[in-house]
Amino acid sequence: MAIKRILTSTIIILGIAFLVCLTTQFSQAGEPKTIVFLTWKPNQPEVWERLIQRFHQKNPGIRIQLQVGPHSSTEYHAIVTQRLKNKDASVDVFFMDVIWPPEFANAGWALDLASRFTVQEQKKFLAGPIAANTYLGKIYGVPCYLGAGLFYYRKDLLDKYDFKPPRSWMEMLTHGQAILEREAAPGLYIYSAQFKQYEGLVCNMLEFIWSHGGVVLDPQKGRVLLSEPPAIQAIAFVCDQIIGKAAPRGAINYEEPESLELFIQGRAVFHRNWPYAWAAANDPEHSKIAGKIGVGALPAFPGHSSASTLGGWQFGISQWSKHPEEAWQFIQFMTSYESQKVLALGAGLAPTRTLVYCDAEVRKKMPHLNAFLPAFERARPRPLSPVYPMISQELQRFFSQAIVESPCDLSGLADATSARIEKLVRLGAMIRP
Amino acid sequence: MTRRDRNLYLVMLAPAALVLLLLIAVPIGQSMILSFHRIIISLPQLKTPFVGLENYQELLRDPVARHSFWITAIFVGTTTFFELVIGLVLALLIHRRFPGRGALRACVLIPWAIPTVVSAQMWRFLFNDAYGMINYAVFGAETSHYIPWLALPPGALSAIIVADIWKTSSFAALLILAGLQVIPEDLYQAARVDGAGTWKCFWHITWPLIRPALLVALLFRTIDAFRVFDLAFVMTHGGPADATNVLQLYGYKKMFVEGWMGYGSAISVCIFVIVLILAIIYVLMVGRRLLEASL
Repeated sequence: MAIKRILTSTIIILGIAFLVCLTTQFSQAGEPKTIVFLTWKPNQPEVWERLIQRFHQKNPGIRIQLQVGPHSSTEYHAIVTQRLKNKDASVDVFFMDVIWPPEFANAGWALDLASRFTVQEQKKFLAGPIAANTYLGKIYGVPCYLGAGLFYYRKDLLDKYDFKPPRSWMEMLTHGQAILEREAAPGLYIYSAQFKQYEGLVCNMLEFIWSHGGVVLDPQKGRVLLSEPPAIQAIAFVCDQIIGKAAPRGAINYEEPESLELFIQGRAVFHRNWPYAWAAANDPEHSKIAGKIGVGALPAFPGHSSASTLGGWQFGISQWSKHPEEAWQFIQFMTSYESQKVLALGAGLAPTRTLVYCDAEVRKKMPHLNAFLPAFERARPRPLSPVYPMISQELQRFFSQAIVESPCDLSGLADATSARIEKLVRLGAMIRP
Repeated sequence: MTRRDRNLYLVMLAPAALVLLLLIAVPIGQSMILSFHRIIISLPQLKTPFVGLENYQELLRDPVARHSFWITAIFVGTTTFFELVIGLVLALLIHRRFPGRGALRACVLIPWAIPTVVSAQMWRFLFNDAYGMINYAVFGAETSHYIPWLALPPGALSAIIVADIWKTSSFAALLILAGLQVIPEDLYQAARVDGAGTWKCFWHITWPLIRPALLVALLFRTIDAFRVFDLAFVMTHGGPADATNVLQLYGYKKMFVEGWMGYGSAISVCIFVIVLILAIIYVLMVGRRLLEASL
């Protein structure tokens, strides 16, 4: 009896499985191809949804399947690299942070786009992001939107006390101090930025170092210049004047959202953030300072010029994608003039195509984009290296120690960190052809 | 037991053993194999050479790993101690008979039922320097006194310890409660007849009889605490200045952020070995106690 029952149920299960296979086989013939787009949760998901819907209308033969990863770049990186390392063919298009192309190119995960993304087409984009997507003469990503460290300030407060936006960090401190004293508002700080031990800390600290004439890595000689006076003095400035003074000590655990929160609650006069913060800070629903802010390039140390860390995101195609042609169609659509305009107007994302900055509607509705442009043109990529994630971990540890343990033996720390990073750079250089 | 019986038992045990082998032995073996190789994901050109114990030698010399080990040890020591103490008190409380006991027992378990990532996020908000409830509760409107808990190395470590104690004390309570419930009521009645007070009852009946349960709780909590990852990951990401960079988080960063698979695996294997040794010690102890208790 029991055997009979088992047999019957096996036959039924097999039959169902067969039917399921049959239906999927049939449906695949007429159904569109699915392109999986691996990305992270954007700040304005509805704008992206709208763009993807428009793409579906124009390309009925392709369906985009969004797979959304964590908001943090580092966490998202862990997921993307895991899937690409495992040759996961279900990922077609992935979103890449500006620091990843050398790594992805070197590991053979990102498809070389040179045949599709021609030099002629590349010239229509800003130079910084194109440089960041190029590794050993080949291009691996199409820049979607651009980021750079920007300097936000309370225009109303500066106007009230007849100050101009500060050009130097010292000026920022004196203006800020004067405003704090005269406003006498409890809980008001001069500066708000990101100093948590994570990638954003490296961006913030590089801007201080660069705007003091320092560099971290000499790419030609592979030498680390953290212990040189320009770098050390800039770091010491942050330890002595910014943390716990101009900025709250709590900033040591701030990422972008926490630091922006302080600014939009009207509790910081100056704020460093990426371009997305403009739309967020001017949203009257969440921000107490909507319409009261100005934006420009970050201050510098006297005698040096302002510098911003280049940020932003690119589209790349996976080496293991089975539909690279459809994937390219999607990327082409998403980075087109029209789409960049939608992303700019809808989500405040800064275009990578230079022409969009001249667009009449964009100029009219986003006059601040022109204030962004000087910072964008001066934006510098972080060290271009396939082992950048390792270098970054060392830098994060060093910078966090410097600001937390201050006052401490800064040169000693810097020497030790430099030695460790030089070891990593040699590792990366071993594989150069 | 005849030979045929033994064979039958073996056949019956085989599926479970196979599943265990697949789910536990294979991944651990894989980690061990990886830890003997130099594997850097972003540099596939280096291939994956066998390097013997190089990763382990490196690990012994690595000051960051040593720091992480001590941080983890502090975390394990303090959380386990407080969780057992609070768990014992909770268990004794909810063991008493009073109206609404069932509901209260369920409530005690709520912190444990919340996913750690969610409770970690909650504690991160509570400890926020500017808007956190903890600062408000301590200092009220005196914003100038607010402490940036998560920005201070001891504060950040304490914060994840507090979050862990809040979350898992109830688990310890549950285990201890199970131990309390097997103590026969007659013993207490007999003691009362002989004129023993509450304290004497606890000291001479409850305490010796729940010690096996306490040891089980200790075993579970120590092992679990050693593997802490999510609290530090969500609340501080290992910072500030590596103050909460617990071993698992360090291994995760090496493996998945830096792509240093071999080295990260070596860290994992070390955690596994530490936990294994602890488990063996405890199991030997618990095993003996349980034997004594049943005699």
